[in-house]
Amino acid sequence: MESTNRLLLLAAALAVTLLTSGCTLFRGDKQVEQQQTEEQAAAEEAAEDADSTPPRVIEPNVARRKIKTPKIDNENWEIGAGFGFLSIEDFGTNSTYAGMLTYHVTEDFFFRADLGQSTAGRTSFENLGGEIELLTGDERRFTYYSLSLGYNFLPGEVFLGRDTAMNSSFYVLAGIGSVDFAGDNRLTLNFGAGFRVLPTDWLAIHLGVQDRVFDSDLLGETKVTNNIETVLSATVFF
Amino acid sequence: MEPSITTTRSRRLRRISLGLSLIFACSLSATALAKETEAEKAAKEAAAQEKLLQVFVSEPYLELSTGPGRGYPVFHVVEREASIDVIYRRTDWFKVRDERGVEGWARAQDMRRTKLADGSPFVFNLGDRSGFTSHDWEIGLGGGRYGGANLISTYGAYSLTDNMKVELTFSQFLGNASNGYKAELGLNHVILPEWRLSPFLELGTGIVYVEPRATIVLPLDRTDQTAYVGAGLRFYLTRRFFVRADYRWHTIFTSRDDNEELEEWKVQIACFF
Repeated sequence: MESTNRLLLLAAALAVTLLTSGCTLFRGDKQVEQQQTEEQAAAEEAAEDADSTPPRVIEPNVARRKIKTPKIDNENWEIGAGFGFLSIEDFGTNSTYAGMLTYHVTEDFFFRADLGQSTAGRTSFENLGGEIELLTGDERRFTYYSLSLGYNFLPGEVFLGRDTAMNSSFYVLAGIGSVDFAGDNRLTLNFGAGFRVLPTDWLAIHLGVQDRVFDSDLLGETKVTNNIETVLSATVFF
Repeated sequence: MEPSITTTRSRRLRRISLGLSLIFACSLSATALAKETEAEKAAKEAAAQEKLLQVFVSEPYLELSTGPGRGYPVFHVVEREASIDVIYRRTDWFKVRDERGVEGWARAQDMRRTKLADGSPFVFNLGDRSGFTSHDWEIGLGGGRYGGANLISTYGAYSLTDNMKVELTFSQFLGNASNGYKAELGLNHVILPEWRLSPFLELGTGIVYVEPRATIVLPLDRTDQTAYVGAGLRFYLTRRFFVRADYRWHTIFTSRDDNEELEEWKVQIACFF
Protein backbone atom coordinates (compact mmCIF):
# COMPACT_ATOMS: atom_id res chain seq x y z
CA MET A 1 0.00 0.00 0.00
CA GLU A 2 2.73 2.31 0.94
CA SER A 3 4.54 1.60 -2.32
CA THR A 4 1.48 2.54 -4.37
CA ASN A 5 1.27 5.82 -2.50
CA ARG A 6 4.92 6.45 -3.21
CA LEU A 7 4.38 5.73 -6.88
CA LEU A 8 1.46 8.11 -7.00
CA LEU A 9 3.47 10.81 -5.28
CA LEU A 10 6.36 10.19 -7.62
CA ALA A 11 4.05 10.37 -10.61
CA ALA A 12 2.52 13.57 -9.29
CA ALA A 13 5.94 15.05 -8.63
CA LEU A 14 7.07 14.04 -12.12
CA ALA A 15 3.96 15.53 -13.61
CA VAL A 16 4.53 18.78 -11.73
CA THR A 17 8.19 18.90 -12.72
CA LEU A 18 7.29 18.17 -16.34
CA LEU A 19 4.62 20.79 -16.29
CA THR A 20 6.81 23.41 -14.69
CA SER A 21 9.75 22.57 -16.89
CA GLY A 22 7.40 22.74 -19.89
CA CYS A 23 6.31 26.12 -18.73
CA THR A 24 9.87 27.23 -18.25
CA LEU A 25 10.69 25.90 -21.70
CA PHE A 26 7.75 27.69 -23.15
CA ARG A 27 8.58 30.91 -21.36
CA GLY A 28 12.21 30.51 -22.36
CA ASP A 29 11.24 30.46 -26.07
CA LYS A 30 9.35 33.63 -25.60
CA GLN A 31 12.28 35.22 -23.84
CA VAL A 32 14.64 34.20 -26.65
CA GLU A 33 12.30 35.72 -29.17
CA GLN A 34 12.10 38.86 -27.09
CA GLN A 35 15.86 38.96 -26.80
CA GLN A 36 16.22 38.47 -30.56
CA THR A 37 13.86 41.34 -31.33
CA GLU A 38 15.67 43.50 -28.81
CA GLU A 39 18.98 42.65 -30.44
CA GLN A 40 17.59 43.41 -33.89
CA ALA A 41 16.30 46.76 -32.74
CA ALA A 42 19.63 47.55 -31.15
CA ALA A 43 21.43 46.56 -34.35
CA GLU A 44 19.09 48.66 -36.39
CA GLU A 45 19.60 51.55 -34.08
CA ALA A 46 23.32 51.04 -34.32
CA ALA A 47 23.08 50.96 -38.09
CA GLU A 48 21.08 54.13 -38.05
CA ASP A 49 23.66 55.69 -35.79
CA ALA A 50 26.40 54.56 -38.17
CA ASP A 51 24.65 56.35 -41.03
CA SER A 52 24.43 59.69 -39.24
CA THR A 53 27.86 59.88 -37.57
CA PRO A 54 31.14 58.76 -39.13
CA PRO A 55 33.25 56.17 -37.41
CA ARG A 56 35.76 57.69 -35.08
CA VAL A 57 38.79 56.29 -36.83
CA ILE A 58 39.45 59.05 -39.41
CA GLU A 59 38.19 62.53 -39.07
CA PRO A 60 39.81 64.68 -41.81
CA ASN A 61 38.49 68.06 -40.79
CA VAL A 62 39.59 69.81 -44.00
CA ALA A 63 37.49 72.89 -44.50
CA ARG A 64 38.52 74.22 -47.93
CA ARG A 65 39.37 77.87 -47.52
CA LYS A 66 37.84 79.86 -50.30
CA ILE A 67 40.41 82.41 -51.30
CA LYS A 68 39.14 85.28 -53.32
CA THR A 69 41.78 86.93 -55.43
CA PRO A 70 40.62 90.46 -56.13
CA LYS A 71 41.32 91.81 -59.59
CA ILE A 72 44.34 94.05 -59.66
CA ASP A 73 43.67 97.56 -60.81
CA ASN A 74 45.77 98.44 -63.86
CA GLU A 75 46.58 102.13 -64.13
CA ASN A 76 48.28 102.42 -67.48
CA TRP A 77 46.04 105.05 -69.06
CA GLU A 78 46.58 108.75 -68.64
CA ILE A 79 44.13 111.43 -69.72
CA GLY A 80 44.31 115.16 -69.48
CA ALA A 81 43.98 118.58 -70.99
CA GLY A 82 46.10 121.64 -71.33
CA PHE A 83 46.58 125.12 -72.60
CA GLY A 84 49.41 126.65 -74.57
CA PHE A 85 50.61 128.48 -77.62
CA LEU A 86 50.76 127.37 -81.21
CA SER A 87 52.84 129.16 -83.76
CA ILE A 88 51.13 128.63 -87.13
CA GLU A 89 53.61 129.43 -89.85
CA ASP A 90 52.73 132.77 -91.50
CA PHE A 91 49.70 133.19 -89.22
CA GLY A 92 51.33 134.23 -85.96
CA THR A 93 51.31 132.68 -82.51
CA ASN A 94 47.99 131.99 -80.87
CA SER A 95 46.61 130.24 -77.85
CA THR A 96 45.69 126.59 -78.19
CA TYR A 97 43.66 124.10 -76.18
CA ALA A 98 44.71 120.49 -76.24
CA GLY A 99 43.64 117.15 -74.86
CA MET A 100 45.70 114.01 -74.66
CA LEU A 101 45.22 110.31 -74.03
CA THR A 102 48.22 108.12 -73.28
CA TYR A 103 48.63 104.40 -72.87
CA HIS A 104 51.82 103.38 -71.07
CA VAL A 105 52.93 100.09 -72.60
CA THR A 106 56.13 99.66 -70.61
CA GLU A 107 57.98 101.92 -68.23
CA ASP A 108 59.86 103.23 -71.26
CA PHE A 109 57.39 103.41 -74.13
CA PHE A 110 53.92 104.87 -74.53
CA PHE A 111 51.32 105.54 -77.19
CA ARG A 112 49.76 108.96 -77.16
CA ALA A 113 46.87 110.63 -78.96
CA ASP A 114 46.72 114.42 -79.03
CA LEU A 115 43.80 116.56 -80.05
CA GLY A 116 43.89 120.32 -80.14
CA GLN A 117 42.39 123.49 -81.49
CA SER A 118 43.67 126.96 -82.12
CA THR A 119 42.65 129.93 -84.23
CA ALA A 120 45.06 131.37 -86.75
CA GLY A 121 45.81 135.07 -86.68
CA ARG A 122 46.45 137.34 -89.65
CA THR A 123 49.40 137.02 -91.97
CA SER A 124 51.70 140.00 -92.41
CA PHE A 125 50.40 140.17 -95.97
CA GLU A 126 46.87 140.72 -94.65
CA ASN A 127 48.06 143.24 -92.09
CA LEU A 128 49.92 145.28 -94.66
CA GLY A 129 47.31 144.91 -97.37
CA GLY A 130 44.52 146.52 -95.35
CA GLU A 131 41.16 144.98 -96.13
CA ILE A 132 42.46 141.73 -97.61
CA GLU A 133 41.16 138.58 -95.87
CA LEU A 134 42.86 135.36 -96.91
CA LEU A 135 40.63 133.10 -94.84
CA THR A 136 37.14 133.27 -93.43
CA GLY A 137 36.51 132.90 -89.71
CA ASP A 138 35.77 129.19 -89.94
CA GLU A 139 38.79 128.53 -92.08
CA ARG A 140 41.05 130.13 -89.49
CA ARG A 141 40.20 127.41 -87.04
CA PHE A 142 43.20 125.12 -86.76
CA THR A 143 42.14 121.68 -85.50
CA TYR A 144 44.65 118.88 -85.29
CA TYR A 145 45.19 115.43 -83.93
CA SER A 146 48.19 113.16 -83.82
CA LEU A 147 49.01 109.58 -82.89
CA SER A 148 52.49 109.21 -81.48
CA LEU A 149 54.90 106.75 -80.00
CA GLY A 150 56.85 108.16 -77.07
CA TYR A 151 59.94 107.16 -75.16
CA ASN A 152 60.72 108.12 -71.56
CA PHE A 153 64.21 109.21 -72.35
CA LEU A 154 65.40 110.54 -68.98
CA PRO A 155 63.32 109.32 -66.06
CA GLY A 156 64.23 110.84 -62.72
CA GLU A 157 63.18 112.86 -59.74
CA VAL A 158 62.83 116.55 -59.02
CA PHE A 159 63.21 118.03 -55.58
CA LEU A 160 61.17 120.80 -54.02
CA GLY A 161 63.02 121.82 -50.90
CA ARG A 162 64.44 119.20 -48.56
CA ASP A 163 61.39 117.03 -48.02
CA THR A 164 59.61 116.72 -51.34
CA ALA A 165 60.76 114.52 -54.17
CA MET A 166 58.54 114.07 -57.21
CA ASN A 167 59.02 111.51 -59.95
CA SER A 168 59.62 113.04 -63.34
CA SER A 169 60.51 112.13 -66.86
CA PHE A 170 61.86 113.83 -69.93
CA TYR A 171 60.37 112.16 -72.98
CA VAL A 172 60.58 112.36 -76.73
CA LEU A 173 57.81 111.44 -79.13
CA ALA A 174 57.02 111.29 -82.83
CA GLY A 175 53.97 110.37 -84.83
CA ILE A 176 51.55 111.09 -87.61
CA GLY A 177 48.26 112.90 -87.70
CA SER A 178 46.19 115.37 -89.55
CA VAL A 179 45.29 119.03 -89.42
CA ASP A 180 42.08 120.69 -90.53
CA PHE A 181 43.00 124.22 -91.54
CA ALA A 182 41.95 126.69 -94.24
CA GLY A 183 39.15 124.41 -95.42
CA ASP A 184 41.36 121.43 -96.02
CA ASN A 185 42.75 118.37 -94.26
CA ARG A 186 46.46 117.73 -94.43
CA LEU A 187 48.65 114.89 -93.30
CA THR A 188 51.05 115.99 -90.56
CA LEU A 189 54.16 114.55 -89.06
CA ASN A 190 54.85 115.55 -85.50
CA PHE A 191 57.84 115.25 -83.25
CA GLY A 192 58.75 116.81 -79.98
CA ALA A 193 59.76 116.45 -76.39
CA GLY A 194 58.19 117.00 -73.04
CA PHE A 195 58.80 117.08 -69.34
CA ARG A 196 56.47 115.35 -66.94
CA VAL A 197 56.35 115.78 -63.17
CA LEU A 198 54.17 113.65 -60.90
CA PRO A 199 53.17 115.43 -57.67
CA THR A 200 51.37 112.21 -56.71
CA ASP A 201 51.40 108.79 -58.34
CA TRP A 202 48.15 109.50 -60.18
CA LEU A 203 48.57 113.14 -61.22
CA ALA A 204 51.05 114.48 -63.75
CA ILE A 205 51.92 117.97 -64.98
CA HIS A 206 53.34 118.10 -68.50
CA LEU A 207 55.19 120.80 -70.34
CA GLY A 208 55.66 119.74 -73.93
CA VAL A 209 56.87 121.17 -77.20
CA GLN A 210 55.94 119.61 -80.52
CA ASP A 211 56.54 120.55 -84.11
CA ARG A 212 53.70 119.72 -86.48
CA VAL A 213 54.94 119.63 -90.03
CA PHE A 214 52.73 119.66 -93.10
CA ASP A 215 52.73 120.78 -96.73
CA SER A 216 50.83 123.97 -97.41
CA ASP A 217 50.02 125.77 -100.64
CA LEU A 218 48.01 128.57 -99.05
CA LEU A 219 50.38 131.34 -100.04
CA GLY A 220 50.89 130.34 -103.66
CA GLU A 221 53.67 127.80 -103.80
CA THR A 222 53.65 124.47 -101.95
CA LYS A 223 56.03 124.51 -99.01
CA VAL A 224 56.72 122.58 -95.83
CA THR A 225 55.43 124.46 -92.81
CA ASN A 226 56.65 124.01 -89.25
CA ASN A 227 54.11 124.76 -86.56
CA ILE A 228 55.59 124.70 -83.12
CA GLU A 229 53.33 124.17 -80.17
CA THR A 230 54.02 124.55 -76.46
CA VAL A 231 51.43 123.14 -74.10
CA LEU A 232 51.19 122.96 -70.32
CA SER A 233 48.77 120.26 -69.27
CA ALA A 234 47.58 118.27 -66.30
CA THR A 235 46.78 114.56 -66.62
CA VAL A 236 45.48 111.85 -64.37
CA PHE A 237 46.23 108.14 -64.43
CA PHE A 238 43.35 105.68 -64.42
CA MET B 1 41.28 150.20 -89.59
CA GLU B 2 44.86 149.14 -89.22
CA PRO B 3 46.10 148.46 -85.70
CA SER B 4 49.29 150.22 -84.75
CA ILE B 5 52.33 148.23 -83.76
CA THR B 6 52.08 149.30 -80.14
CA THR B 7 48.47 148.23 -79.74
CA THR B 8 49.21 144.85 -81.34
CA ARG B 9 52.14 144.39 -79.04
CA SER B 10 50.23 145.42 -75.93
CA ARG B 11 47.36 143.14 -76.90
CA ARG B 12 49.76 140.29 -77.35
CA LEU B 13 51.45 141.04 -74.03
CA ARG B 14 48.07 141.16 -72.36
CA ARG B 15 47.18 137.80 -73.86
CA ILE B 16 50.47 136.25 -72.82
CA SER B 17 50.15 137.54 -69.26
CA LEU B 18 46.58 136.27 -69.15
CA GLY B 19 47.79 132.90 -70.36
CA LEU B 20 50.57 132.77 -67.82
CA SER B 21 48.24 133.67 -64.99
CA LEU B 22 45.83 130.99 -66.17
CA ILE B 23 48.62 128.43 -66.20
CA PHE B 24 49.67 129.52 -62.72
CA ALA B 25 46.07 129.26 -61.48
CA CYS B 26 45.74 125.84 -63.12
CA SER B 27 48.89 124.49 -61.48
CA LEU B 28 47.91 125.96 -58.11
CA SER B 29 44.46 124.45 -58.22
CA ALA B 30 45.93 121.16 -59.42
CA THR B 31 48.26 120.94 -56.41
CA ALA B 32 45.43 121.99 -54.09
CA LEU B 33 43.28 119.30 -55.64
CA ALA B 34 46.09 116.81 -55.19
CA LYS B 35 46.40 117.62 -51.48
CA GLU B 36 42.69 117.61 -50.91
CA THR B 37 42.00 114.35 -52.63
CA GLU B 38 45.02 112.67 -51.12
CA ALA B 39 43.38 112.75 -47.69
CA GLU B 40 40.13 111.49 -49.20
CA LYS B 41 41.99 108.80 -51.07
CA ALA B 42 43.70 107.59 -47.90
CA ALA B 43 40.34 107.32 -46.17
CA LYS B 44 38.85 105.51 -49.12
CA GLU B 45 41.78 103.15 -49.32
CA ALA B 46 41.49 102.33 -45.64
CA ALA B 47 37.84 101.46 -46.24
CA ALA B 48 38.64 99.41 -49.29
CA GLN B 49 41.62 97.71 -47.71
CA GLU B 50 39.80 94.40 -47.44
CA LYS B 51 39.30 94.33 -51.18
CA LEU B 52 43.01 94.55 -52.00
CA LEU B 53 44.90 91.46 -53.00
CA GLN B 54 47.21 90.20 -50.26
CA VAL B 55 50.38 88.36 -51.16
CA PHE B 56 53.23 86.99 -49.06
CA VAL B 57 56.93 87.42 -49.64
CA SER B 58 58.54 84.01 -50.18
CA GLU B 59 62.02 85.14 -51.17
CA PRO B 60 64.39 86.38 -48.45
CA TYR B 61 63.16 89.93 -49.05
CA LEU B 62 61.22 92.17 -51.44
CA GLU B 63 62.61 95.54 -52.45
CA LEU B 64 60.38 98.62 -52.73
CA SER B 65 61.41 101.54 -54.92
CA THR B 66 60.27 105.15 -54.79
CA GLY B 67 59.01 105.09 -58.38
CA PRO B 68 57.83 102.75 -61.13
CA GLY B 69 61.12 102.68 -63.02
CA ARG B 70 64.41 100.84 -62.93
CA GLY B 71 66.41 103.85 -61.80
CA TYR B 72 64.42 104.81 -58.74
CA PRO B 73 66.15 104.10 -55.43
CA VAL B 74 65.14 101.21 -53.17
CA PHE B 75 63.99 102.76 -49.90
CA HIS B 76 62.36 99.86 -48.09
CA VAL B 77 62.63 96.09 -47.79
CA VAL B 78 59.82 93.72 -46.88
CA GLU B 79 61.06 90.55 -45.19
CA ARG B 80 60.15 86.93 -45.91
CA GLU B 81 56.67 85.73 -44.83
CA ALA B 82 55.46 89.30 -44.39
CA SER B 83 52.29 90.20 -46.24
CA ILE B 84 51.79 93.06 -48.67
CA ASP B 85 48.66 94.52 -50.22
CA VAL B 86 48.67 95.13 -53.97
CA ILE B 87 47.17 98.56 -54.57
CA TYR B 88 47.50 98.75 -58.36
CA ARG B 89 49.76 97.98 -61.24
CA ARG B 90 51.38 100.37 -63.72
CA THR B 91 53.20 98.79 -66.66
CA ASP B 92 55.56 96.23 -65.05
CA TRP B 93 55.50 97.71 -61.56
CA PHE B 94 53.13 97.10 -58.66
CA LYS B 95 52.28 99.71 -56.10
CA VAL B 96 52.12 97.83 -52.78
CA ARG B 97 51.64 98.54 -49.11
CA ASP B 98 53.28 96.50 -46.36
CA GLU B 99 51.92 95.65 -42.89
CA ARG B 100 53.32 98.86 -41.42
CA GLY B 101 51.63 100.98 -44.06
CA VAL B 102 54.76 101.75 -46.09
CA GLU B 103 53.87 102.19 -49.77
CA GLY B 104 56.29 101.63 -52.59
CA TRP B 105 56.80 100.14 -56.02
CA ALA B 106 57.81 96.51 -56.55
CA ARG B 107 59.05 95.04 -59.81
CA ALA B 108 56.80 92.57 -61.61
CA GLN B 109 59.61 90.00 -61.78
CA ASP B 110 59.92 90.13 -57.98
CA MET B 111 56.16 89.99 -57.48
CA ARG B 112 56.12 86.81 -59.57
CA ARG B 113 58.00 85.13 -56.71
CA THR B 114 55.46 86.00 -54.02
CA LYS B 115 52.71 83.66 -52.84
CA LEU B 116 48.98 84.02 -52.35
CA ALA B 117 47.36 83.28 -48.98
CA ASP B 118 46.78 79.62 -49.92
CA GLY B 119 50.43 79.14 -50.80
CA SER B 120 49.96 79.10 -54.55
CA PRO B 121 52.20 81.34 -56.65
CA PHE B 122 50.99 84.79 -57.66
CA VAL B 123 50.45 84.47 -61.39
CA PHE B 124 49.81 87.38 -63.73
CA ASN B 125 50.52 88.48 -67.25
CA LEU B 126 54.13 89.58 -67.50
CA GLY B 127 54.00 90.98 -71.03
CA ASP B 128 56.43 88.63 -72.74
CA ARG B 129 56.45 86.26 -75.70
CA SER B 130 53.77 84.02 -74.16
CA GLY B 131 51.62 87.12 -73.77
CA PHE B 132 51.99 87.71 -77.50
CA THR B 133 50.42 84.31 -78.17
CA SER B 134 47.65 84.73 -75.65
CA HIS B 135 46.24 88.07 -74.52
CA ASP B 136 42.94 89.94 -74.22
CA TRP B 137 43.45 93.33 -75.82
CA GLU B 138 45.64 94.95 -78.40
CA ILE B 139 45.87 98.50 -79.70
CA GLY B 140 47.93 99.92 -82.51
CA LEU B 141 48.54 102.87 -84.76
CA GLY B 142 50.18 103.43 -88.10
CA GLY B 143 49.89 104.59 -91.64
CA GLY B 144 49.69 103.44 -95.22
CA ARG B 145 47.82 103.97 -98.46
CA TYR B 146 44.13 103.78 -99.25
CA GLY B 147 43.36 103.98 -102.93
CA GLY B 148 45.63 106.83 -103.94
CA ALA B 149 45.43 108.58 -100.59
CA ASN B 150 47.58 108.65 -97.49
CA LEU B 151 46.08 106.74 -94.63
CA ILE B 152 46.33 107.27 -90.87
CA SER B 153 44.94 104.36 -88.96
CA THR B 154 44.39 103.22 -85.39
CA TYR B 155 42.81 100.02 -84.18
CA GLY B 156 41.80 98.10 -81.10
CA ALA B 157 41.11 94.38 -80.91
CA TYR B 158 39.67 92.00 -78.37
CA SER B 159 40.69 88.33 -78.44
CA LEU B 160 37.82 85.85 -78.41
CA THR B 161 40.38 83.05 -78.58
CA ASP B 162 44.11 83.05 -79.28
CA ASN B 163 43.25 82.78 -82.97
CA MET B 164 40.15 84.90 -83.32
CA LYS B 165 39.91 88.60 -82.62
CA VAL B 166 37.22 91.23 -83.01
CA GLU B 167 38.76 94.34 -84.42
CA LEU B 168 37.63 97.96 -84.60
CA THR B 169 39.56 100.28 -86.93
CA PHE B 170 39.32 104.05 -87.30
CA SER B 171 41.13 105.67 -90.19
CA GLN B 172 41.46 108.97 -91.93
CA PHE B 173 42.59 109.23 -95.53
CA LEU B 174 44.01 112.31 -97.20
CA GLY B 175 44.21 112.31 -100.97
CA ASN B 176 44.59 114.72 -103.82
CA ALA B 177 40.95 114.41 -104.86
CA SER B 178 39.18 113.73 -101.60
CA ASN B 179 39.57 113.28 -97.88
CA GLY B 180 37.54 111.18 -95.55
CA TYR B 181 37.14 108.99 -92.55
CA LYS B 182 36.19 105.37 -92.12
CA ALA B 183 35.26 103.09 -89.26
CA GLU B 184 35.30 99.32 -89.65
CA LEU B 185 34.41 96.35 -87.51
CA GLY B 186 35.76 92.96 -88.46
CA LEU B 187 37.08 89.57 -87.51
CA ASN B 188 40.76 88.77 -87.55
CA HIS B 189 41.97 85.19 -87.68
CA VAL B 190 45.59 84.69 -86.61
CA ILE B 191 46.60 81.42 -88.20
CA LEU B 192 49.58 80.52 -85.96
CA PRO B 193 49.51 82.78 -82.89
CA GLU B 194 52.46 81.00 -81.24
CA TRP B 195 54.81 81.85 -84.11
CA ARG B 196 56.89 84.99 -83.89
CA LEU B 197 56.01 85.89 -87.48
CA SER B 198 52.43 84.91 -87.94
CA PRO B 199 50.04 85.39 -90.85
CA PHE B 200 46.42 86.41 -90.38
CA LEU B 201 43.24 86.75 -92.41
CA GLU B 202 40.58 89.39 -91.95
CA LEU B 203 37.03 90.11 -92.95
CA GLY B 204 34.78 92.97 -91.99
CA THR B 205 32.42 95.79 -92.75
CA GLY B 206 32.06 99.46 -91.97
CA ILE B 207 31.16 102.91 -93.15
CA VAL B 208 33.21 105.39 -95.11
CA TYR B 209 32.67 109.14 -95.26
CA VAL B 210 34.17 110.94 -98.24
CA GLU B 211 34.45 114.70 -98.67
CA PRO B 212 35.89 116.28 -101.81
CA ARG B 213 38.90 118.59 -101.51
CA ALA B 214 38.03 122.27 -101.39
CA THR B 215 39.99 123.11 -104.51
CA ILE B 216 38.43 120.48 -106.73
CA VAL B 217 34.80 120.42 -107.76
CA LEU B 218 33.29 117.01 -107.06
CA PRO B 219 29.89 115.65 -106.15
CA LEU B 220 28.59 116.15 -102.63
CA ASP B 221 29.99 114.57 -99.47
CA ARG B 222 28.76 111.06 -99.08
CA THR B 223 28.62 108.22 -96.58
CA ASP B 224 28.65 104.67 -97.90
CA GLN B 225 28.84 101.19 -96.54
CA THR B 226 32.00 99.26 -97.15
CA ALA B 227 33.23 95.69 -96.73
CA TYR B 228 36.70 94.22 -96.87
CA VAL B 229 38.71 91.04 -97.02
CA GLY B 230 42.39 91.05 -96.26
CA ALA B 231 45.50 89.30 -95.15
CA GLY B 232 48.58 90.30 -93.28
CA LEU B 233 51.51 89.44 -91.09
CA ARG B 234 52.29 90.18 -87.47
CA PHE B 235 55.75 90.10 -86.00
CA TYR B 236 56.64 90.11 -82.30
CA LEU B 237 59.28 92.73 -81.48
CA THR B 238 59.94 92.77 -77.75
CA ARG B 239 58.15 93.15 -74.39
CA ARG B 240 54.56 94.03 -75.34
CA PHE B 241 55.20 95.31 -78.85
CA PHE B 242 54.62 93.87 -82.26
CA VAL B 243 54.41 95.15 -85.81
CA ARG B 244 51.64 94.25 -88.17
CA ALA B 245 51.29 94.90 -91.85
CA ASP B 246 48.18 94.08 -93.84
CA TYR B 247 46.51 94.39 -97.19
CA ARG B 248 42.76 94.92 -97.47
CA TRP B 249 40.60 94.79 -100.52
CA HIS B 250 37.56 97.04 -100.11
CA THR B 251 34.23 97.10 -101.85
CA ILE B 252 32.32 100.33 -101.35
CA PHE B 253 28.57 100.00 -101.85
CA THR B 254 27.91 103.36 -103.46
CA SER B 255 24.52 104.81 -104.31
CA ARG B 256 25.59 104.89 -107.97
CA ASP B 257 25.23 101.99 -110.40
CA ASP B 258 28.71 100.61 -109.85
CA ASN B 259 30.35 99.58 -106.64
CA GLU B 260 33.76 101.04 -106.06
CA GLU B 261 36.73 98.83 -105.35
CA LEU B 262 39.77 100.05 -103.48
CA GLU B 263 43.02 98.62 -102.20
CA GLU B 264 44.49 99.45 -98.82
CA TRP B 265 47.79 98.55 -97.26
CA LYS B 266 49.23 99.74 -94.01
CA VAL B 267 51.89 99.12 -91.37
CA GLN B 268 51.08 99.54 -87.70
CA ILE B 269 52.97 99.33 -84.46
CA ALA B 270 50.87 97.69 -81.81
CA CYS B 271 50.95 96.44 -78.25
CA PHE B 272 48.99 93.84 -76.35
CA PHE B 273 47.76 93.79 -72.76
